[in-house]
Amino acid sequence: MNTSDHHRAERLIAEGRIEGLAPAERQWLDAHLEGCAACDAFARSTAQAIDSLRSISVEVDSELVRRTRLLVSFRRRELERQGSWLLPVWVCCGLSWVMGIATAPLAWRGFEWLGRHAGLPKLAWEGGFVLWWTLPALVTVLVLAAAFRRREAL
Amino acid sequence: MGATTYLFASSMPTEAQELAQGLRRRDPDLFDRLIEQYHYRLFRYLLYLTGSRETAEDLFQETWIRVLERGHQYNVKWKFEAWLFTIARHLTIDWMRKKPAGATLDLDEAGDEARPAAGWASAGSGAGSPFDLAAGREESERVRTALGQLPAAFREVLLLRFQEDLALEEIAAVTAAPLSTVKSRLYRGLDALRATMEESKP
Repeated sequence: MNTSDHHRAERLIAEGRIEGLAPAERQWLDAHLEGCAACDAFARSTAQAIDSLRSISVEVDSELVRRTRLLVSFRRRELERQGSWLLPVWVCCGLSWVMGIATAPLAWRGFEWLGRHAGLPKLAWEGGFVLWWTLPALVTVLVLAAAFRRREAL
Repeated sequence: MGATTYLFASSMPTEAQELAQGLRRRDPDLFDRLIEQYHYRLFRYLLYLTGSRETAEDLFQETWIRVLERGHQYNVKWKFEAWLFTIARHLTIDWMRKKPAGATLDLDEAGDEARPAAGWASAGSGAGSPFDLAAGREESERVRTALGQLPAAFREVLLLRFQEDLALEEIAAVTAAPLSTVKSRLYRGLDALRATMEESKP
């Protein structure tokens, strides 16, 4: 038995615990351990270290689970309230989007007519049309952001 | 294969799907059951990570709140406990970042921080003869001391592997480390733990 056998055995002892061994390696290791007291002691001390690690336990405050359940339940209700508050906003957004698409050709013609009668350059009334589309969304985002911030602060 | 892309084969896909649906619905009964089922393992893990009972309790509650809020992000290909530990670990890292100057920022680099301390007890406590109890406490103290001498990154993988019985790929996902790193930490950690415990033998 040479040094490399002992090194191999030590490596396989750890590998067996961490990753598992192939049957051939297991067979070789078992045979080696039978004839090598030092490696056998190494295997036993490794097993003992792992068993000790598994034996560690902690004391959990019996109230912790009850408190956590209560907290989770409270937070769930809070989230449901938030969800119900957001639902009308989403409905309004959806309706606004549909209406916007449906009325876009009319709005375009309206802006074109206004621009022509006011003698505005094409770029100006086109810009007005873009603002007509984006401003309501921007205002909504700002209002919602402010509302969320106020809720977070509370 | 990267840890983050590793897919965990669930032994019971239907059960996992039901779990995912329950988490999405924020089913109160499911949450009560999950808290009851995983409270011990989660608290033990947090206590080990933080080394403080009080902080572990706070983070325990925060973890469940986060599970409630992010339930829709749970992937059925993950084991629930691996996902739970990942959330707990992220919250612990956030907590460490918020700690006053001098505190460690990364569990992977943590040295003296987050040593397992108060609140640990022998598994045998509360049962057996006074001699068994004393021996159990002594053994527990010896393991605790040996663990305390290991770098935090080694302790974490050892506990996830041998206490929580997570697969190597799951540990890699929880700790956001490559599989090769997890293996290397396990081999070195186990060797160091064994040697330290041998040295401290009465």
